[in-house]
Amino acid sequence: MNLTDFIGRRLLQTLPVLFGISVVSFLLIMLIPGDPVRLILGPRATEDAVAALRHDWGLDRPILVQYFSYVGDILRGDLGDSMKFRVPVLDLILQYLPRTLFLVTYVLVLTLPATVLMAIVAARNEGRWPDHLIRFLSVLGMTIPVFWLAVLFARFFGIRLGWFPVSGYGDGFVDHLHHLFLPAVSTSLWLAPLLTRNLRAALIEQMEADYVAASRAKGLPERYIFRRHILANSILPTLNLLGVMIAFMIGGSVVVEVVYAVPGLGALMIASVLGRDYFVIQGLTLVYALATVVITLLIDLLTNLIDPRTAE
Amino acid sequence: MRTWKTLFLAAAAVALLTGGPVAAEKIRIGSPYATTTLDPMRSANAGSIETFGQLYSRLLRIDETGALAPGLAESWDVTEGGKVITLKLRDAKFSNGDPITADDVTFSLVRIRDTPDSAYPAPMQQLDTAEAVDAKTVKLTLKHPFAPFLGNLEVFNVGIVSKKDVEARGDKAFTENVVTSGPYMVEKWVPNDRLILAPNPNYWRTGYPKNDGAELIEIGDSNTRVSMMLSGELDAAREIPWSQVAEIQSNENISMPMEPSTVIYTVLMNQAKAPFDNMKFRQAAAMALDTTAISKAVTFGNAAPANSTLPNALKFYDPNLKANGFDLAAAKAAVAESGYDGREISIMIADQPEAQQQAVLMQALWSQIGIKSKIEKTDAGTFWSRLTGGDYDVTPTWWYNETTDPDLAVRWAVCGTCGNKAYYTSYDNPKVDALVEAGAAELDEAKRGQIYAEIQQITTTEVANIPLYYPPFANAYSKTLKGLGMTPALQWTLESTERVK
Repeated sequence: MNLTDFIGRRLLQTLPVLFGISVVSFLLIMLIPGDPVRLILGPRATEDAVAALRHDWGLDRPILVQYFSYVGDILRGDLGDSMKFRVPVLDLILQYLPRTLFLVTYVLVLTLPATVLMAIVAARNEGRWPDHLIRFLSVLGMTIPVFWLAVLFARFFGIRLGWFPVSGYGDGFVDHLHHLFLPAVSTSLWLAPLLTRNLRAALIEQMEADYVAASRAKGLPERYIFRRHILANSILPTLNLLGVMIAFMIGGSVVVEVVYAVPGLGALMIASVLGRDYFVIQGLTLVYALATVVITLLIDLLTNLIDPRTAE
Repeated sequence: MRTWKTLFLAAAAVALLTGGPVAAEKIRIGSPYATTTLDPMRSANAGSIETFGQLYSRLLRIDETGALAPGLAESWDVTEGGKVITLKLRDAKFSNGDPITADDVTFSLVRIRDTPDSAYPAPMQQLDTAEAVDAKTVKLTLKHPFAPFLGNLEVFNVGIVSKKDVEARGDKAFTENVVTSGPYMVEKWVPNDRLILAPNPNYWRTGYPKNDGAELIEIGDSNTRVSMMLSGELDAAREIPWSQVAEIQSNENISMPMEPSTVIYTVLMNQAKAPFDNMKFRQAAAMALDTTAISKAVTFGNAAPANSTLPNALKFYDPNLKANGFDLAAAKAAVAESGYDGREISIMIADQPEAQQQAVLMQALWSQIGIKSKIEKTDAGTFWSRLTGGDYDVTPTWWYNETTDPDLAVRWAVCGTCGNKAYYTSYDNPKVDALVEAGAAELDEAKRGQIYAEIQQITTTEVANIPLYYPPFANAYSKTLKGLGMTPALQWTLESTERVK
């Protein structure tokens, strides 16, 4: 299969998706009550001042006209300016993107080894105490609310023990690792159980598959079977779940961002929705959509690599 | 995977060894309120108000005793019966080294008044003409004698900006390389996160600021502010939740002086429609609210129950006013007399913990006299649209006054003809409107006192709104700081703050 062809076709398919998403999010945000101008000027502004600024920004035009002028700007490569901060949307997003990507990578680095290890231990000991323990911890991790856990972590590891800062991003790579440790662990604690349960189930299913029995019958060593066949076959569904989760974290890490005061894209999205900062919401929506597309594409390529049959 | 793990472990070890909060030079202040713009004309939101004073000097300033003192104006003369104010400017420079001239002053004041989308033109409404007599003299002529005008020259949005720069660069003048006239310059602005301030080397007060700058950090979550205060990652924090005040106060490194504010929590009622258009019904609603119990329950006794429509830190506030105090029997009689038809009223609240508690208590207290109500939660955007559009029944909210003079306060909260329908309640009593203008024009202090006492008497009796309580600022300060506080007008005394070791 031609790889560039594959990637090109996939990227082409995303255009209508991006268009659809932008229409829906534009209409949604325009139709909910709340006026960005009133929020920007503050309660003391007169109705005249609000009307003047709405007119300045063209918010008094019909929604469709506004949408097409927005799309026109996008096609020229201009994401517009934030109404609230009056700085380009692209600058705002680029300012926060590295933090968010750093945090997501950090979470993955913490999560993936632990996930694989726990899933293997649980699957190999199915029904025995290590399995029970891991499953119990998984349920615990998935059910404890992140915001609550984050506050407890901050109070205990940050204040009582003084090991980690409870806020901020820090300067430099090492400082980033130090500052983002608690946020990353807090996120890991719900992500790891999700992936572990998924991978464990897949492993168990594969371990009982006919081809495994056949391999054993052929006298292949157990370790070889596990690594070469079972693990490779089990990892695919979890990989897909991981792709969805990464895409989700890029926009959805807002809880840890808020509790640990490390504003990233998630916090920017919340602030923009609450402030009705239309163009920032639009810009972020496009970024999320693009990120989702790219991540899914990467996951698919990875899947291809692991299982060439999926390329058909 | 193995190399990653090793790398991470190594990094974590280094982090632990070098860890612990590094002693930062900058003073770090955490506030839930966002700085949305650096242009003093563009916003009247709490966060921006806190910021403007650090960036732009005004003609006058409030000194440590709360009195008006010279700012960029060295001296001033009030002539023609209070109609003309002539100010002499001191030799001062903008942060870029340009001199601050009379032209900059007239430009800044008129800009606030005349720009169509100026966020808060009210302080300059009485200004007729502003004239630069020479480079250092400004002559302000008012439309009529107006007692509070000097105080209005100190309000948050009348900071002096550079005419040359703003005319040349427009909006960009306030997002990149901002030219300032106050104690600080912008070192870096990260919208939605923090504003980093550096001392302005050209600031006119020699010896100020007494520190190396500050970081104004936006932290929406109150638990996080508390955590950061306790871990030493903040030097000061706004709005410690009332329930955690005791915990913070018991920490030996932190002080909470509970500074007086001009903040007032009050219940707004939409008087353009039934049932709150009926004064008897409003009085019943007011008398049913046990403000002592409410302030105790919500603020753990840190706020004083309110007795007047005006904040208690204002000049001419009347502490002896008694009208529509808590009285269940009288409230029941009044609600019967009002002819209330038993309809359910909606208590609209913004997404704030304090408002939620108030709403629950209001609902419970009102049910005792037979008023049925439900609570309707909105986000800030919807809240302000519905409030300003008159699409609500009743809502608990707060406001504050930017000067200690009551003029702007009465125009904001009880005046029906001052542009905002008495805080969007549609309360309108022509007598009160006339008194508001009389109070502003009167130059004799004793007579002004009588006028504002009468305004408070009428509006509290007629229930223009239901005042709940007067909270102090629940700000926390690290004891390593000396001189940091917040004035009643929401301004940090940052320039006089020193770090003591």
